[in-house]
Formats: sequence, structure tokens, C-alpha cells
Amino acid sequence: MSLLAIRDVSKRFGGVNALAGVTFEVEQGDILGIIGPNGAGKTTLLNCISGLYRPDAGDIRWETTSIRGLAPYRIARLGIGRTFQIVRPFPSMTVRENTAMGALFGRPGARLQPGAALNEADMVLDVVGLGEKRHYPVLRLTVPDRKRLEVARALAMRPRLLLLDEVMAGLNQVEIEQALEMVRRVRDSGVTIVLIEHVMKVIVGVCRRALVLNFGRTLVEGPPAEVLKDRRVIEAYLGQRYARDQEK
Amino acid sequence: MSVRRATYLVAGLALAFLVLAPLTSIDAAQQAGLPLLTDKLWFRIATTVAMFVVMASAWNIIGGLTGYASFGNVAFFGLGAYTAGVVVTNLNLPFALALVLAPLVAAAFAVIVGIPLLRLRGHYFAVATLGVGVAVGEVVNNIEPLGAATGLFLPIIRSDLLFFYLMLGAALLAVLTTWVILRTRFGYGLLAIRENEEAAAVIGVNTTFYKVAAFCIAAALTGIAGAIFAQWNSFINQDNAFAISDNVQMILMAVIGGTGTVLGPVAGAISLELIIQTLAGGGSGSVFSQIGLGVLLAVCVIFIPRGVIDFFGGRSRLSLRYFRQTLRETSV
Repeated sequence: MSLLAIRDVSKRFGGVNALAGVTFEVEQGDILGIIGPNGAGKTTLLNCISGLYRPDAGDIRWETTSIRGLAPYRIARLGIGRTFQIVRPFPSMTVRENTAMGALFGRPGARLQPGAALNEADMVLDVVGLGEKRHYPVLRLTVPDRKRLEVARALAMRPRLLLLDEVMAGLNQVEIEQALEMVRRVRDSGVTIVLIEHVMKVIVGVCRRALVLNFGRTLVEGPPAEVLKDRRVIEAYLGQRYARDQEK
Repeated sequence: MSVRRATYLVAGLALAFLVLAPLTSIDAAQQAGLPLLTDKLWFRIATTVAMFVVMASAWNIIGGLTGYASFGNVAFFGLGAYTAGVVVTNLNLPFALALVLAPLVAAAFAVIVGIPLLRLRGHYFAVATLGVGVAVGEVVNNIEPLGAATGLFLPIIRSDLLFFYLMLGAALLAVLTTWVILRTRFGYGLLAIRENEEAAAVIGVNTTFYKVAAFCIAAALTGIAGAIFAQWNSFINQDNAFAISDNVQMILMAVIGGTGTVLGPVAGAISLELIIQTLAGGGSGSVFSQIGLGVLLAVCVIFIPRGVIDFFGGRSRLSLRYFRQTLRETSV
């Protein structure tokens, strides 16, 4: 039994088929990378999983139960944490307070009190490398640090599945290395990860499997190195002519 | 340190209020001709200030902490007032019962309108709640058992002191409620919703429940103020129980004082009500007082966006530098 199963999920916005029947599964302990050109439906897919959107068709199963159409907060408490591509911190709070919010609300089971949640935040901030900046107001953080904070807030929920939406976009080479290190640490702590990424180095570096979305459909799925060499994937990104020229 | 100083300051003010106000009824004070204390008007103003402390603090819970600017809170005030009217006049039951029923009626109404309206955001929510505020007043104005356009008369209870203390009690309750909320998980949930609602939802905040609950608490507190007002004034109609200007006023007080804080709405209610009384010269609604208020609000929003509470407790000092800095913040 897989941890998360997406079955034939579709989502329309007016005349646009953002998702047109996507199917895949995520096993416990896996790291799945989702890639695809702009507008392929990657973020829509995450929004469907985390409950911000309700799929028009298909089913999303968490272990044995369907979570399709559940309110986002209920999905969160089942153990699914996520980050946003365009970061969404709580701007008037400090780094530590932002992180504590995840521990305060996202935990399944026993409720933490604010004090305990702050202690939990301190532990998580050390994992993502923000420990020394815990008392900063969010607005003082740089872009890479704000992305780390997104991860920290989700991790504080102690999720079993973490959905990362382009946490490395806009980072330089050194920062990507640090972020990769962070993702590996999270994986080693037993969290299953689904990540959307445009940086291929990340996909090849940490993912066990990669899935390519194009026009709301699954184009190719398999080991990252093979997927990236697939002619259909090159076509999707760079056009048919480029793919033809490559083969000559 | 700063918070403690602010707390002492307000506690001191409240204590002074408690001690000084009853003096006004003591003959000795009146014979001695102490300024203010001989004046019956002073009592009225003090009670009105306390009433607006309740309304501004209650508004702050939904508008300041949760970030949903309600222009319909006056409906809760009116419903509280009319609940008291019905209990005391139509049903001939004691006023004490009205004090219990009024918040319940207002809170129940908040659930009914809150569930559909709290799905709206920003100015859509503001306009929708404004509609509710006006509509409820109009409906009440057309119900015969509620006195329709004539209004409702309550048996007069002559005791300035009683109503002053009732309002003061309600004001303390409102402030205490805000203080408690800000120290609990519930309060953090409200702040998260204000700061970024979708982010709050995906970390596990039950946003719909939290928003409706905050609306309910605000409604209950406002309803209590309405009930006390009804008995105090002994006459209620659409104009005084469902006055949109009251709704605007409670928002101004919360904003000028400092939204999202415990004591901001208190500071705002006290300072603004005193300014209004001064501008109006005891009467109300003169053109000049309206213009004065408008200018004041514009200046406050531009130059002291965090409210006058920002100057208490040593966080900021009133200076040109402060104004230059806030001007940069507010003019994006």
C-alpha cells in the first residue's frame, strides 16, 4: 500500500484543463520529483493534494482513505505539510513564531501549548539552518532564508509527507547545495517528500523517481537520469525541432 | 518592560476612573465645586467612553486580530439593545436577564451571517457586512411589536452610577477577553488568518471555525453594550441602536488607538470620544466636528498607522523622525 495515491485527478479552470487525469503513487520514504514546463499543472496538483483546490474528477488517497475534497486543515493534520512557491510567511511575526505556528496547529493528536510550540520551533530551525536568525522579524530575511522558513514551518508540523513547491528556485549554486543538504537531512529523518523543481541538479541529486507533467498529463515517469534523456521530455521543454536536431 | 509600563499606565487610569467617578454623585464634591465632578454631563461622557471601549475592543477581535474589517458590528449592538427592549418592556422580565440573553442573540446572529459572509475578503466583506448592518436596522424598524418607526420605550432606571459601572464592567470584560485570546492557541490562529489565510489553512488552522468564533465573540461583547445602552437610554429606535456612524466610530477608535493590540482600542476610544465631545461642544453631529474628525483620521492613518498605543511603554517616541519613518511605511 502506498502512502499517497493520485488517481486520474482532473482540475479545470474555465476552459483550461490544468490537470487532465494525472495518476501516480508515492511510497513511504520516497523522494519524488515533479518537473514540467510552466503551466504544466505542477502547483495545481499540490493545491489539490493539500486541499486548497477540490479536484473535478479522480481520487486522492492517503493510505487507505480518500482525502479528496477534505478541508486543508484536516489534510494538514493527517500529516501532509507543504510550502508555497511564492513564500507566504506571517509577516508581523518573528522567524521563531512563524515556525511555532506549524507545531501549534499542524500536529495530529495532542495539542501543544504556545510555549511548547516555541521550543519545538527552535529544534526545527536548527535543522533548516535558521537557528541563529530565530529572533529576526521575517521581513529581514533574504529570499533563500524565507524559503528555508517555509520548510521549517511545514516541518514543525512533523509531517509524514512534505510537499515542496520550488524551494530552490532563485537560489545560487552555493545556496542550492545547502538546500539539497537540508532536503537530505529531512529525508533521513523519515519524511516522505514530493518536490516540484526546475533545477535539474536537484532532481538528479536527491530524487529516486521523477515525473514529468505536460499540459496537465503525466508525460513520463521513471528514474531521473532516464527521464531527462527522454525525447518527449526534451520536446516539451525545448520544442520538436531541438529534439530532432539532438538525435541527428 | 515596555508592556509592563503600558499596563501600569492603563491600570492607573482605570483605577482613577473607578475612584473619581462615584465622587461625582457625592454631595460634598459638588458643594466643593470641583471641576468636572459636579457635572452630570461628565458621567454621561464617562459611560459613553466605556461603551465605545467595549465596541472598539470587540471590533478589534474580528477586525484587528482576524483581519476582517466588519462594518456590520452595529447590528450586534442593535440586536442587543432590542433584546433588552423586548425582555424588559414586552415580556416584563428583569433587566438582568436581558444582560444574559443579549450576547446570546447577537452571537447566534453572528453565526448565521458569519458563515456565508466570512468567505469574502477585504472590501467585499466590508461592503457585505455594511449591508447587513443597514438591513437589520430596516427590518427592526418595520416590526410592529418592536415599536416599528416609533421606537421602544424601556421603564426608566434612574441611576447614573449603575450604568457607569455596568459599562465599565463590560469594558473590562472586553479588554480581558482580548488579553486572554492573545495568549492562547485560538489567538495565534486568528493572527495567522490575518497574516495569510491560505498559509494558515495548510498548517492546520480550521479557518472557517476560527473566523466564525471570533465574529461570535465580537458580537456577544457588542450585544452586551447594546443591552446596557438600551436600559440606560430607556429609549431605542433605528437611529440610535443601528447607527452606522457608531460602526464607523468604533473602527476609527480601534485604528487610531492601534489594531491588534489589547489596549489600542481603549486608548482610541478614550481619546477619540473626548475629542468628539470637545469638537461638538457637548452637542453632537455639528458640521465642524465631522470635518475635524475626517481630517484627524486621515492624519492618524498616514502618520501613526500603528495607533497612538505605539507611544506608550517606550516603544516609540513622538517625534518628527517617527513621522518621517511612518510616512515611508504608509506611502508605498
